[in-house]
Amino acid sequence: MKKLLVCALCAAMVVPALSVSVSADSKELVLYTWENMFPQEVLDGFEEETGIKVVYSNFDTDENMLEKLSMAKGGDYDIVVADDYIIETAIQEGLVEKLDTSKLSGWDNINPLYQGQFYDPNDEYTAPYGAGIPLIVYDPDMVDIDIKGYGDLWDESLEDSIALTANYRVINGITNLVLGQDFNDQNLDDIAKTGEKLLELAPNVRLIQDDNTQDSLLNGEASVAFLYTSQVTAALQENPDLKVVYPEEGLGFGVMGMFIPSEAPDKDEAYQFMDYILQPENAAKCFDYIGYYCTNKAADSLLENQNLVVPDSVTEGSAVENISTEAEEAYNKNWTEFKAACD
Amino acid sequence: MKKQKSGSVWMILPLYIFTLVFVAGPLIYMVALSFAQPKAGHGVEWIFTLDNYRKILDPVYMKTFTGSFQLAVTSTIIICLIGYPFGYFMAKLSDKWKKRAMIFLMLPFWVNSLIRLYGWMIILQTKGLLNHVLKSLGLIEKPLRILYSYPAIVVGMTYVLVPFMILSVYSSAEKLDWSLVEAARDLGASPMKAFWTISFKLTLPGLLSGVILTFIPSMGLFFIADILGGNKIVLVGSLIQEQMTKGNNWPFAAALAVVLMILTTLMIMLYRKVTNAKELEGVG
Repeated sequence: MKKLLVCALCAAMVVPALSVSVSADSKELVLYTWENMFPQEVLDGFEEETGIKVVYSNFDTDENMLEKLSMAKGGDYDIVVADDYIIETAIQEGLVEKLDTSKLSGWDNINPLYQGQFYDPNDEYTAPYGAGIPLIVYDPDMVDIDIKGYGDLWDESLEDSIALTANYRVINGITNLVLGQDFNDQNLDDIAKTGEKLLELAPNVRLIQDDNTQDSLLNGEASVAFLYTSQVTAALQENPDLKVVYPEEGLGFGVMGMFIPSEAPDKDEAYQFMDYILQPENAAKCFDYIGYYCTNKAADSLLENQNLVVPDSVTEGSAVENISTEAEEAYNKNWTEFKAACD
Repeated sequence: MKKQKSGSVWMILPLYIFTLVFVAGPLIYMVALSFAQPKAGHGVEWIFTLDNYRKILDPVYMKTFTGSFQLAVTSTIIICLIGYPFGYFMAKLSDKWKKRAMIFLMLPFWVNSLIRLYGWMIILQTKGLLNHVLKSLGLIEKPLRILYSYPAIVVGMTYVLVPFMILSVYSSAEKLDWSLVEAARDLGASPMKAFWTISFKLTLPGLLSGVILTFIPSMGLFFIADILGGNKIVLVGSLIQEQMTKGNNWPFAAALAVVLMILTTLMIMLYRKVTNAKELEGVG
């Protein structure tokens, strides 16, 4: 009886070991990103075309990803999709592989609007994978003026009628653009000016809210709203008559980037995957699925949801960059002062 | 006897450990954090500084304290005006109706307060129930813009906190010896005089503990200001929350929390001094 048990235990130990060695033989790729970032259809299509199985591994926050990746010293994962600001840190810590773009036939499909950003100024490490762009949306029936840019939000006719999302860096950033300053201006005197300008916006603000901000536009509480991408999509779905404004001062956005960790175990497979996603027809499916702005120029016309395509006239945009603690605090103070003035 | 004693120590021990780990631990961590520095990007640098406290003295942040205080005072006064008579007359009901009133009072607690506040949003919004009713009654022509205003926040605060006042007044009014009131009336006191000299004085501890139970939470209930006030009034609570989540400045948030805690502790001490109460009466 005892012998039998020992045998069984040995067998139990051998079986998983066997299965591991089997899977190591067949080609595999570990994709590390948030949940629901790729449609199953595209992942299946990749496996069919290349025979490489995609193992989807999740993180819930960028910070978590960075911690795991630095513990693995840039190994364990083959391809990562994360937010711009954390990629900057990852690159600084040497966790990101320099890309050999000759291996990427779809590299030129990328929309240049999203290239050369602060986290990867020379486009050496990342390929953008979707962008979030806060935009102005308004109800033309309730607004007398033609809104063209951020500056119009300051118009007196909009008293007590604007709904704002609550991202203090973005709101400070667009105020910077109105003043002709840099979106990420770090000069403390400039930031003080931004604060003063923001106070002038206060009388027009009806509410400040991060979740479901579009609701206030749909139920008539506000006639103008500054919304996140998913909220813009939701608002237009409910009321297609709403007008979307790509502000003339330029966009402020957040980009998600795709990169290969420096010690990725299966780099060739990672390149193949990246290139597969850069192909227009696959990219279009992905952006339709995740609902972020299309960063692939060649895929623009293929998207079912054309609201996720930035018009050709828009050529300028900047992302929210990591800035000094002092500047961050000054922006934060502007924000608190602004909110208190809104009442 | 000895055995029993050591047994009781073992019974209490988990409680002490629990308190140490989950109350004292986080508190110490919070105080320590309030003397640290924020790291660029995110995280904390453990370098001693008093900057976080110095920053609170900045008029921008001082205003959030006075603003919170004002809102708490306003809400508490309204809560007293509604809650005291409610609790007082509830204690005068027959046993059967007391039970029913209690059920009606407790019923809303079965639903999460956030959901109830969203209900208020539907009532108060421009195209909402209240405006609809007022309009069809011909009382107003243009819809009132109540949602996302100061009054909307006060309504929300009052709604959420008034049960605490009612219960606290009720429990002290229930203990009231009504024969004292009858005696006063027999001796010729008017109903008002009998109320002020006897009933009111005897239910005062209930009222005061109700004040503490409503005033202190209303200093920190930021989500009401967020949901019904459209986030336009910066309360200490919302400032702390924002510094934690968006501002990436945990040390400053910790310093604000420490100051808020000291202030509320002072208020409780003041309350004890005024009422000479050893503990919150009517509650304990």
